[in-house]
Amino acid sequence: MKNIFYQIFHSQKFVAGFSILMIILLILFIYPLIFPGDPLQMIGLSSFSKPGIYVSVYDAIDSEPSTMKLPDADVKRLMKKLSNEDRLAMKEWLVATGTPEDVIDILDTDGLLKLWKDSYDPSLKPEGMTLAKRNYYKRLNASLEKAFDYSRIIIATKDEETGELNEEKTVSSNDYININDVANVVYLPLGTDNFGADVAKKLVSAAKTSIMIGLIAGSIATFIGLTFGLLAGYVGGIVDDFIMFITNLFTVIPGFILLILISYGIDQDKRGAAVVALVIGVTSWTWTARSVRSQVLSLRNRDHVNLSKLSGHGLARIILTDILPYIASYVVMALILQISTAILAEAQLSMLGLGPKTTERPTLGLMMNWAMLYSAHTHGYWWAYFPVLLFIALISFSLNLMNTGLDQVFNPTLRD
Amino acid sequence: MGKTILEVKDLTTKYITRFREDVYAVDHVSLSLEEGKSLGIAGESGCGKSTLALSLMGYYFPPLHYVSGEIIIDGKNISKMDPDTIRKNILGKEIAYIPQAAMNALNPTQRIISFIEDVIHAHYPEMSRKEIYESARKRFEELNLSPAVLEKYPVELSGGMKQRTVIAISTILSPKVLIADEPSSALDVTSQKMVIRMLKNLMEKGYIKSMIFITHELPLLYNVTDDIMVMYAGQIVEKSTAKDMIFDPIHPYSKGLMGSIIVPEAGARNTKLTAIPGTPPNLKKPPAGCRFAERCKYAFNECKANAVGLKDFDEGRSYRCLIDSARLREVYKNEQQ
Amino acid sequence: MKGYRKYFAKKLLWFFLTLIIAFVLNFVLPRLMPADPIANIMSRTARGINESAATRAMYENYVKAFGLDKPAIVQFTTYVRNAFRGDFGQSFSQYPRKVNDIISNAILWTIGLQMPAIIVGWLLGNILGALAAYIRKGFDKLLMPLSLFLSCVPAFGMAVILLGLFAVKLKIFPVAGGYGFDLIPTFSWKFIKSILLHYQLPFWSIVIISIGGQAIGMRSMSIYELNADYVKYSRYLGVKDRKIVRYVFRNAMLPQVTGLALSLGTMVGGALVAETVFSYPGLGTTILKAVTASDYPLLSAATLIITIMVLVANFAIDIIYGLIDPRVKATQFE
Repeated sequence: MKNIFYQIFHSQKFVAGFSILMIILLILFIYPLIFPGDPLQMIGLSSFSKPGIYVSVYDAIDSEPSTMKLPDADVKRLMKKLSNEDRLAMKEWLVATGTPEDVIDILDTDGLLKLWKDSYDPSLKPEGMTLAKRNYYKRLNASLEKAFDYSRIIIATKDEETGELNEEKTVSSNDYININDVANVVYLPLGTDNFGADVAKKLVSAAKTSIMIGLIAGSIATFIGLTFGLLAGYVGGIVDDFIMFITNLFTVIPGFILLILISYGIDQDKRGAAVVALVIGVTSWTWTARSVRSQVLSLRNRDHVNLSKLSGHGLARIILTDILPYIASYVVMALILQISTAILAEAQLSMLGLGPKTTERPTLGLMMNWAMLYSAHTHGYWWAYFPVLLFIALISFSLNLMNTGLDQVFNPTLRD
Repeated sequence: MGKTILEVKDLTTKYITRFREDVYAVDHVSLSLEEGKSLGIAGESGCGKSTLALSLMGYYFPPLHYVSGEIIIDGKNISKMDPDTIRKNILGKEIAYIPQAAMNALNPTQRIISFIEDVIHAHYPEMSRKEIYESARKRFEELNLSPAVLEKYPVELSGGMKQRTVIAISTILSPKVLIADEPSSALDVTSQKMVIRMLKNLMEKGYIKSMIFITHELPLLYNVTDDIMVMYAGQIVEKSTAKDMIFDPIHPYSKGLMGSIIVPEAGARNTKLTAIPGTPPNLKKPPAGCRFAERCKYAFNECKANAVGLKDFDEGRSYRCLIDSARLREVYKNEQQ
Repeated sequence: MKGYRKYFAKKLLWFFLTLIIAFVLNFVLPRLMPADPIANIMSRTARGINESAATRAMYENYVKAFGLDKPAIVQFTTYVRNAFRGDFGQSFSQYPRKVNDIISNAILWTIGLQMPAIIVGWLLGNILGALAAYIRKGFDKLLMPLSLFLSCVPAFGMAVILLGLFAVKLKIFPVAGGYGFDLIPTFSWKFIKSILLHYQLPFWSIVIISIGGQAIGMRSMSIYELNADYVKYSRYLGVKDRKIVRYVFRNAMLPQVTGLALSLGTMVGGALVAETVFSYPGLGTTILKAVTASDYPLLSAATLIITIMVLVANFAIDIIYGLIDPRVKATQFE
């Protein structure tokens, strides 16, 4: 036994898979401790906020500023303001008014602005340029000039009676506040989703649920498959024929379709995560039964089994003491694979809108489903779906890697 | 004395394991084989006899590697040839091989004739399919095999039939030396007999000039071969004629090996059946002295300290032991009583 | 050939048997569920209608439409008879379109997408797996973890990633649909070009996923075969390496054919979900629509058709396999 564990933990693949899984599990348990709170809470009133740190503007104004003069502050400010299209347009104007193309570098903000200041003249009418386009340049110029206008911004409150504005405070371009002085700062490492919920928090909670679904469904499938496989392989005869008939039947009839049919039949309100896990488990046992059966067949006529039979031991005892221990490693591997396929099955089912109900707790599949329904993928809101996919793939990958490692330990012919 | 067909001088080969360790499974083995003769090689499993069979062909691929020594077949020194020349001119044509597990020796998805075509084409690319078919058919008939077998797939043949087909394929190019590695060990008694008869038939008809027969079943060797060599832990421990080896083994290991079998001869009726205790040494770290010393009941201190070479005794016999042959005979005699 | 006829007959019998069971399951499963299917539909379709007489009438209408007032066996025979005539009733959500009209439109898209994708993925995966087993060293070390990772990404995941990369970010391919939304299906060059353009992302996402799993299977099969006794024996008889490699890969490939048959159901299921990501006008998207709109007749017909498609494909693979593997011929054709 000790030797087996030694071998297992010397298989590179197993250790790699095991480490990935452990890291994921660690994140799942530690993250909620650092950032507690309800993962389904809708904190954003707008959907799909970008990942990042959000600072309350209201509180920021209230904080005491320090004045700093940073050398590249203006350039940075401009860089944020000047989009790529603007830069290209500026280049277009410069070329049209006679600046040689090779001196213009649109990535050099300083140089570009200098050229622009020197040569822009709103009264010029370059050939072939429409009025709309010229107006666009006027607006662009105005906004650029404003950026160079270092006057202060006035914060004012409105007098309810007179409607007059009373200056409260001014903010200059050199004012900085310490983020620690702001009362409300939100860390959203993965932004928010369509409901305005914190994706990171939701993801951690969803991964936990999905793994639970995988565990339950995988255990059920392995249990059914193991029982059928043992009976078919050991008892043989009619029992074998019957079980194999059922097994072959459900191997060719796609389990996924059965899953759809059954899930559709269950009311959405009754479809909790546990129910979905149960349904997945009940529809995915076939290949476990098949492979357990073939393992048992090769064991059935071994000497120790015959001996046990001759000693008059009962069916249950023979199976439990003379067969199960020999296929235990195999069953563990089957369980690992079943867990990983169950997690995928939940995700696929949820993608079709047949997953667990949404109001209770998130699952990885549901997160994908909602991201797709709100077209996060076509709008480029990657944070709403990519981390979810990565989690699904990594969990599944780690389990499969562990399985390959075990396979190499237990089936030496596969060793390289 | 007949013409020497196979001459092997100090052949050493090794396996390189997954963990980059060297295992010298054939250690300085020399032997020679004359035309019309057959040689038996006996030993426990793992003693290197199967590896010797493979090494004799001079064609090595991982994990088996050539280390040193010479193999001369019919005057041609093949240990200096490049692998592709050996493949084309030696394998199958000069020296051929019957594998241990004939059950799986044939490609399951190929008809027998198609495999024979591939074998012959590898050596005579100019032969047409028709010529190949004709010669195969003729050879099969000569060996009392139905030509219908040619059109079959391996799965359609019984175990004994498969083994005989493999023998026919191995000898289809009439090699000078045939190496048979346990050709009958997995078969029932009737099939075993047919296989042995077939091998003798091949010799008599001259399709093979000489044969090396490897087995762990010693009585089989007595019936089939002229000489017997006993191997232990990669080395030859005794060389004798078949008769001498069976009735008068000298090396304690040979003696033990004989003791663990029943020889169906009148003189051997009252031999006691004994097994040799212990297991062969680990060839990754072979012992410095005599390799059998650990298990030998006659061993003394010097046995474990110094390596022993092969020594000649009697007429054309040799053995690897520190104890004098006459002394050993005496000891055995006393034990018998 | 007499043996083969027997094998064929056996497979055919099995095919019909599974077909019948598939019909039964498709019919029985939704009806076995505790919830009243009509009430289920009503709760969604009759939302907002307060008049009880109207809902009562609707309810009875549905009962009649489903034939729920008749005994189960009559319902079943009607169901099978109608299915064979291609009559699956009326769609709820796309009224007044007939279900078989919707399905027959979608089915071509799905077959056109999935069949080539699964075959190409299977072939590429087998070639890569065989190469990995033969070359080993660096190629193997790189390819195998990658294949394993790819086989762990669900097909819809690959679809979303490809879409995000090539359609949204790089704008090389269109985002959704089977053809340009501004086009009317005709046999014009423009239309075909649009179809091909829309085809790429769904196709490759299925291909890439299938490659992973197949490559892993083929690699271990090939390694197993490379160590087989017949390889050693052939080598020692001087057979050329090129020939031996051919034996090995042929023999490793054959179990992969049965492997394909066994995993076909899973692959099709995954590919159906991938379709929905692209709103590809196939059966996957049809199922999604049917589920979201509670269109029961449509869903039931779609699942039945997919099951039949998988069964037919399985049958075809069995038949081909019987022809190409002599081991089957020897053991099954007696």
